[in-house]
Amino acid sequence: MPSSSLLGYCEYLLAGAAITVELAVSGYLLVLIVGAGWALMRRLNNPVVSAAWRVYASIFMGVPAVLVMFLFYYAGSPTLSSLLALFRWQVRVNVTPFGAGLAALTVVQGAYAAEVISSAIRNVSRGQFEASRALGIRPYQTWWYVIMPQVARLALPGLTNIWVSVLKDTALVALAGLNEIVMRSRTASGATNEPFLFFMLAALFFIVFSAATLRGSAEVERRLNRGLARPDNDRRLLAGERT
Amino acid sequence: MNFDPVLAWHSLPALCHGLLVTIGLAALVPVLGLVISVPMALARLSRWKALAWPAAAYVIFFRGTPAMILLFFVYFGLGQIFGAHDGLLGALFSNAFLCAVIGFALNHSSYVTEIVRGGLQSVPRGIVEAASALGIERRDVFLRVRLPLAVRFGLKAYQNEVILFTKATAVVSVITVIDLTGAANQVFYDTYDPFTPLLTAAAFYWVLVNLLRLGLARLDTWLNPHLVVDERRDSTDEFRPRAVPERHSVTAHGIAEAAE
Repeated sequence: MPSSSLLGYCEYLLAGAAITVELAVSGYLLVLIVGAGWALMRRLNNPVVSAAWRVYASIFMGVPAVLVMFLFYYAGSPTLSSLLALFRWQVRVNVTPFGAGLAALTVVQGAYAAEVISSAIRNVSRGQFEASRALGIRPYQTWWYVIMPQVARLALPGLTNIWVSVLKDTALVALAGLNEIVMRSRTASGATNEPFLFFMLAALFFIVFSAATLRGSAEVERRLNRGLARPDNDRRLLAGERT
Repeated sequence: MNFDPVLAWHSLPALCHGLLVTIGLAALVPVLGLVISVPMALARLSRWKALAWPAAAYVIFFRGTPAMILLFFVYFGLGQIFGAHDGLLGALFSNAFLCAVIGFALNHSSYVTEIVRGGLQSVPRGIVEAASALGIERRDVFLRVRLPLAVRFGLKAYQNEVILFTKATAVVSVITVIDLTGAANQVFYDTYDPFTPLLTAAAFYWVLVNLLRLGLARLDTWLNPHLVVDERRDSTDEFRPRAVPERHSVTAHGIAEAAE
């Protein structure tokens, strides 16, 4: 196998990596929106919302993401078309692999993100809400300037985990035919008979990319924790030492 | 697009066959995972860099790579090298199911390694010191004091991982193993009805995952009986005084049991 063709396949892989990143980033943003939306709605303590959340979480945490994606991909177009037809809107909706994957990642990981954010909100001490009210701060200002920065700090480790799983779950969309990096590594290894090279490259992409973003998240964590000056406390805990 | 109960009924045999494959994977891989991960966690905690670094590399590589790539790796990579050979390795790597077991085991065991490591590290040092001060042998300190406590600390994370892993087996059809998802897709290709088989398979997964969850939760209440109330406190917004002591009390319980 001439090396120029190997190089060509490496470029091909890189283009697939761009699609993976596009899917992961857009998926993660939607996951955050869905997660925060559910978490805030659950704060209302409305029985209808609670029941809806329980059904949603049970379904999407109990069924594999691939299956959800297949359902969206294969059954999505006819379902959406007939739904829109109900509103006298005759359009042929075409669900792409990217769209189906994005939707599946969003609803599945959104459930996990909602859990993380909800428990972060629960862990902000009640005194913060009470103090804000006592100071006469408006509710939306309380949420935006007092509660949310603390929620962000508490939820960050969990949300970072979710980012990594969103990134890795993009591989599933290859099964719906999206030509992203995993699919391309399969094609390239089949065409060149170099399975180790291309699967290794794909694996390294995921490892290096998530390591790079983890570094970014550590930076964000430091910034969010700046009000709590106990940096070496955590380090000692990590080293397995009791403080 | 409607759910067709007749088709669902007729596809049951095929789906049940797929379900057995899924259950087979979900049963075999965790066993391998535990066998690999306990020594791996010990290696990772070892003072010797020659042991600790390879174990850390193992975790970073196999945890950071999507399971699908690992399946390809084992089936198309190793399979190509060893599959044509005679003997044990050839038989192993030419069997897609066994390749799937290996691929998933690599992925799953790297997660479990970190859970075991975390569990071992959260055992308070004083307990280990106390045990050795009482003259208990090093091996017994590990097997009867540290490990039982580590299991209790790590159980929650382990439950989550087993459930996440069980759901992750749904991609196994990429290497020609027909599991529950694969069987549902097969029915879809035969009948051009995606909705019915996929929805039926989803129901199967939902039941499987919830049975697994309930079973593991029972294991947790059995191992950590005094922490059950703690759970309930988590699920409400109400502030309640901590009548039940925190996780530390496990230690007293564990010691009492270990000393028996």
